[in-house]
Amino acid sequence: MVGLSRAMILFIVSSGMSLVLGVLRVPNIAHGSLYMIGAFSAFSISTLLGGGNAGFWLALFLAPLVVALVSFIVERALFCHLYEREHLMLLLFTFALMLILGDLVKLFWGADYRSIMAPPLLQGSIRILGSPFPKYNIFLLIIGPLVAVGLWLFTNKTKIGKISRAAAVDMEMVGAIGINVSWVFAFTFVLGCFLAGLGGALVSPTISITLGMDHDIIMEAFLIVAIGGLGNMWGALVGSLIFGLTQSLGVLFWPQFAIVFPYAAVVIALTWRPRGILKSVW
Amino acid sequence: MNALNLKRLGPGAAILVAAAVVPSIVPRFYTYILAVILITALLAMSLNMVVGHGGLYQFHHGVFYGVGAYTVALMLTKTPLPWWVGFVAGPFTAALMGFLIGLFCVRLNRLYFGMIQISLGSLIWALTFRWYGLTGGDDGIHGIPVPDVLSGVTRSYYVILIVFSVCLFFLYRIYRSPFGTTLRAIRDNPERCAAIGINVRRHQLFAIVIATFFAGVAGVLFVVVEQSVFPDLMFWVLSLEIMIMCLLGGWFTFSGPILGAALMVSLRTFAGVYTEYWTLILGVILILLIFFLPEGIMGYLSTKRKQKNGRRTVE
Amino acid sequence: MLRVENVSKQFDGFKAVNGANLSVEKGEIVAVIGPNGAGKTTLFNLISGQLKPDSGKITFLGEEITALPPHRICKKGIARSFQIANIFHRLTVFRNIQVAVLSQKNRNLNLTSPSDRFFIEETRAILESVGLADKHGEIAGALSHGDRRVLEIAIALGNEPRLLILDEPTAGMSPEETAGTIALIKRLAETRGLTILFCEHDMDVVFGVSHEIMVMEQGRTLIQGTPEAVKNDPDVQRAYLGTE
Repeated sequence: MVGLSRAMILFIVSSGMSLVLGVLRVPNIAHGSLYMIGAFSAFSISTLLGGGNAGFWLALFLAPLVVALVSFIVERALFCHLYEREHLMLLLFTFALMLILGDLVKLFWGADYRSIMAPPLLQGSIRILGSPFPKYNIFLLIIGPLVAVGLWLFTNKTKIGKISRAAAVDMEMVGAIGINVSWVFAFTFVLGCFLAGLGGALVSPTISITLGMDHDIIMEAFLIVAIGGLGNMWGALVGSLIFGLTQSLGVLFWPQFAIVFPYAAVVIALTWRPRGILKSVW
Repeated sequence: MNALNLKRLGPGAAILVAAAVVPSIVPRFYTYILAVILITALLAMSLNMVVGHGGLYQFHHGVFYGVGAYTVALMLTKTPLPWWVGFVAGPFTAALMGFLIGLFCVRLNRLYFGMIQISLGSLIWALTFRWYGLTGGDDGIHGIPVPDVLSGVTRSYYVILIVFSVCLFFLYRIYRSPFGTTLRAIRDNPERCAAIGINVRRHQLFAIVIATFFAGVAGVLFVVVEQSVFPDLMFWVLSLEIMIMCLLGGWFTFSGPILGAALMVSLRTFAGVYTEYWTLILGVILILLIFFLPEGIMGYLSTKRKQKNGRRTVE
Repeated sequence: MLRVENVSKQFDGFKAVNGANLSVEKGEIVAVIGPNGAGKTTLFNLISGQLKPDSGKITFLGEEITALPPHRICKKGIARSFQIANIFHRLTVFRNIQVAVLSQKNRNLNLTSPSDRFFIEETRAILESVGLADKHGEIAGALSHGDRRVLEIAIALGNEPRLLILDEPTAGMSPEETAGTIALIKRLAETRGLTILFCEHDMDVVFGVSHEIMVMEQGRTLIQGTPEAVKNDPDVQRAYLGTE
């Protein structure tokens, strides 16, 4: 169960990454930094508002928007000029972004550990099948599928969602029918980063917020996207479940090597299906 | 041809001579930094062989560096074998690892190649990070008993300089060889290479094995100078940092990575004295590079030179 | 020499090649014609191994080569050029061709001697025979479109092929360049004794140089025969020449 709720966070973060990867064809290495910014902003906003219910919900709402704003500025100011360039350049750009954002967070918030409390409504735990289970984790289990459904509705039912999906399959075609590809890219990038921020805000009450959380999450998200199938949202869900579950199984059975389990699962999955378990959009 | 070679190798030889006399004139700390530069340069060159000349998305080259270093470290601390066995085994283990991981990678192209490599590499990193019994986990292994001939800053510096020069010689031979030419052709157009009868995957795998071998050599040299190993050697951030060195120096050139490594190591050392925001600086440098100098310093210089000569021959 | 029997290839349910037949005899120049989307390029990709056929059989010099990887097929003596200029754009013109020669002579795994010591003469001979000798030092990516197309053919020559497949060798060329390329193809066939299989849109070119013509429509082979026979075939006139 802990694994499941962990998987939900992973899913929210990696679906954002998958989205960007699917359309822009670039693994956004700064994704983890945006996640970290999401968590730190959530901390600042909820502290500013004195904790409590209102503070938390507002933070949950505002923090992803802060992240989206940051990513929008970066995209329009710098990233959008690189779309014509080699892929490796785009990738290295996102790496540069990760380095810069990481240090900016250090400048802003310092290197201390921070934590916020879950809102009173979600504190404590309830009993399921006789074992106690934190309410907040239940909340995550509800939010995860909601985001999945929301994303699905968005990409399948709205016009811009359909465009971005089409762009993932055939960029030139989308350009040919008179759509401004650059703005499709921008929109996808910002949406992907918004999801990173949302993940960061959601995770903030369950862990201590600290520098370095970007490194951990990015590698996990990267691998999840790889096992799921690049750019495939459902793949991100499957990948997250595999990752979260093997991680908690690892903790249960062989704590010392717990972190090895998900990696090994990834290796097995990729050996079995090198292009991801679900079909990649490419 | 010979005259050309001499002209081309002249500056390199001059630098080597200069490098040989350095320890007698500068303080020990600078000698140490120079040793680190040489090691990093070797590592960057080995990476550049597959990324810059091979066009492969070798995203996790640091792992092979780490494997080389850990092999020596473990053999020196945990086995009674004579020390040179470990030093020989390091590069070969790295190459073996390169072969195994490469087998998975070359079946796929581009981004998938990189993804698989990152995941396999991360597995090795995770194992190293956690296997306290064998690798010392996140503490690493310290105080590795390096034999007397190699210990001490000056002596280790000379050893590294010699090994580096030998490797440089071989790397240059490979660069100029039909193998290197074919590798660059594969970078430019793998599909066409297959159509002219080249077994592209075998060639790429071969390139990975060679590159990882030299990464292993760099790893061994790291142990010589630091006498310790830690899992950060295999962390993916290091792998990307090496890639930046190649980019900075010029990844379509042969000697670019040396320059890139030299600049990055010196910058890191001296910036580290004044600020704790080294990665911020690194990020800004990288963005400036991507925007203004995508072919790197050496690439830029050679383009300039060619424009001056009115001749356009590059490889 | 080359025999294609009943070969088919589907893409997501679309039958790009659907039971194509083709035979090429030694020393012939054979053209494949057909409207856009008739499956000419796909057929060539199937022969040279870029694609694997779903069914059917391809034999070359009596040996089955169906679904072999491209590099193996190349070593059997089939070289090809591509419709888009498929060159090594960061290498010099000289190296572009040298790589093919190195590959043909199985020297591309040599690690220790400089490339400059290998097959200089052979490469130069090819450069001269296609008329690129004075541009040998230029970066291939910086060549003009016409020169790139010629280089494209020259790379294929580096493999000393017995059968040379050219996919629209004159696409996008000016009339003068086209004439030059056609003359080149004819000369190659004569001086090197090459067997050539090509596809082309320009009917004057096709009927001017080929000994045999194969007509494709919707992935099928309509007919293969001499230019005369093809010209007079009612099916061809209906399906292809009539609409031209």
